[in-house]
Amino acid sequence: MADVRHTEYRGNIHQLQKELMQKWYERLNQAAETGTPHTASLMISGNCVELLEAFGVVPIYPEVNALQLAIRHQSLDPILAAEEIGYAADNCAYVKADIGCYLKGITPTGGKLPKPSLVLCNFVGCNTYVKWFEHTAVLTGSRLYVLDVPFLRLDEPSRDDIDYVVRQLKELVTILENITGKKFDYDRFVQAVRCSAQVEELWSQIKHLARRSPSPFDAYFDAITLMGPLYVYRATPEGLNFFRAALDEMQAKVAAGQGVFDQEKFRLVIEGPPPYPFFRTFRDMFAKWKACTVASTYSTVGGLWEFGARHDPDHPFESVAMHMLAQNVTNRNFLQRYEQIGRYVKDWNADGLIIHFVKSCRLFSAGQGDMRDYATRTLGIPTLYIESDLEDPRYFAEAQTRNRIDAFFEALEHSKMTATAV
Amino acid sequence: MRIAAGVDVGSTQTKAVVMAENGGREILARALVDTGANVRKAAENAFLAACHSAGIATPEVGFVVGTGYGRYNISFGNTQMTEISCHARGAHFVYPSTRTVIDMGGQDSKAISVGGDGQVMDFVMNDKCAAGTGRFLANAADVMGIGLDEIGPLSLRASRPVRITTVCTVFVESDILSYLAQGKKAEDILGGVHLAIAKRTLSLARRVPIEPQITMTGGVARNSGMVRALEEVLGTTMQISPDAHFMGAIGAAVFALEKMDQSFESSTWRPEHAAGSGH
Ligand code: SF4
Repeated sequence: MADVRHTEYRGNIHQLQKELMQKWYERLNQAAETGTPHTASLMISGNCVELLEAFGVVPIYPEVNALQLAIRHQSLDPILAAEEIGYAADNCAYVKADIGCYLKGITPTGGKLPKPSLVLCNFVGCNTYVKWFEHTAVLTGSRLYVLDVPFLRLDEPSRDDIDYVVRQLKELVTILENITGKKFDYDRFVQAVRCSAQVEELWSQIKHLARRSPSPFDAYFDAITLMGPLYVYRATPEGLNFFRAALDEMQAKVAAGQGVFDQEKFRLVIEGPPPYPFFRTFRDMFAKWKACTVASTYSTVGGLWEFGARHDPDHPFESVAMHMLAQNVTNRNFLQRYEQIGRYVKDWNADGLIIHFVKSCRLFSAGQGDMRDYATRTLGIPTLYIESDLEDPRYFAEAQTRNRIDAFFEALEHSKMTATAV
Repeated sequence: MRIAAGVDVGSTQTKAVVMAENGGREILARALVDTGANVRKAAENAFLAACHSAGIATPEVGFVVGTGYGRYNISFGNTQMTEISCHARGAHFVYPSTRTVIDMGGQDSKAISVGGDGQVMDFVMNDKCAAGTGRFLANAADVMGIGLDEIGPLSLRASRPVRITTVCTVFVESDILSYLAQGKKAEDILGGVHLAIAKRTLSLARRVPIEPQITMTGGVARNSGMVRALEEVLGTTMQISPDAHFMGAIGAAVFALEKMDQSFESSTWRPEHAAGSGH
């Protein structure tokens, strides 16, 4: 038998996270049954949840629903349902799982999901979003609003880019006023933005704790647990309390010298989303080698806060626009993603890079072959490139994946041994 | 004299090598069996056959390393290593000048960049489908009704290789059938088949630095047509040992000798593990 080791972060945070997410699903269920609170579907990347919070509108994240389904091994049925009505094999599997859920009335928790009051397509980076949300709007009969966020072509967005997005955000305010029947409460908006800024500071501090050795948490597998509250509750006092508790817990682990592994053997950077249908199996493949992820690009899909970006209560609209335009990994260009990886490798002191290519996600995966070359040849960092999918279980080949991962660590172990011997 | 063994349980064939160290390292015996459905049994049979042909009793083997896809099914191995590490080490054992390994087996092909002491520097493998692997060639042979051993030599006679546009193991059938229907010669079709695989392998291998010397390993190295097609696209010759398809087992045996030094643990081989013990 393969030497399988189960390792996961154990502490209060995972329990607290479960409770928060459960509560979120209960509110959505309540919205489905009673029509209140109002809800809006939106995407995780560069989301503008602060504006929704100003109106008391609850976000629905189809990506979170899709990944929850996949983790619970329930994604294939809805994917097949979507393929039956004509979605192609290479369409984004998140889209197919989500559409299939509407077709079959499936939810990850078994509760109900409401017909969103607004389908808000915050189109950031991935143009699949636009079609996805158009389809959602058709299926639900909900109103659709597409925020057009220009892709980041240079290092920074131009003044015109920012103004363009701010104008749309203000248009969105009017739409939300119409939907909710409430007048826009600017102070509440500022408060939400302030809350986000505080959460981002805490999250950033947590991520920097992974620079320690041993790292108190896995910045890929454990970070994913923290990402739910980060997107759903960021702009709320509940989110703030959660991240305060999370930071305290991590700091206590650091003070006690506790890491994910008693003896951390390898430190990794991971690029790309995980294979959610095999999340546990995949994690164990790394745990077997006592390999801890210290940084990941996927955990910056929502925002790139560890490098200093924050929402700004003094410029709430502009900072939400900046967040969408420049401060999340998906809207940034590839050279910036390279640079981000380079910084992780250096500042988080990593031994290797894992690139997980997701078959059905063009946004994340296009260009990862070049990225591999860049990492091995320019950064000189051992890099492993593996392929599967984030949602579709049919693309995961366990033996092959394990084989590549084992071979990667065998080589890494050898080079570490010879380096110490010198 | 210390004795160790490597057992490589591949998707189609299982190979075992017994190696001795007595000043230098020397291969005492090799054995090859079809893997079939009972992977454990295949591993045991190969191991027993190799011990038998080396003229040694199994308890004399101090350490066994298992490799290949079935490595975790080997009931008597002391440890397992991937065939990526083992092919690199095996190729380096046979040809110390090896800096690149191109391995083509039944269900995958890989390119490995090898360091001066035989360690893996980098590697790439084919996607999880069987495009560009031994299975592709076997399928082509089947469709044409020609024995697997004959397709390579026959392809060498191609004067105008056809263009094969797919590397999909399933779709190649229809390509071949349509060329047959057009009356193309078998050798030209096979020439095209081998060239298609060679090109695919080259694009894979380019992702690791291809540096001389290149050693080809794996069962497909026995196919002369594939060797020539690969050398043609690579623009250079490759080192090919008559032991090419044993390279994984050889590497595993080398690791076994090394690990024997590091470990006080003796072989977990027990008589009840012998073939016929009901596994
Ligand atoms: S293609 Fe990728 S980035 Fe786009 S929606 Fe699908 S998973 Fe998300």
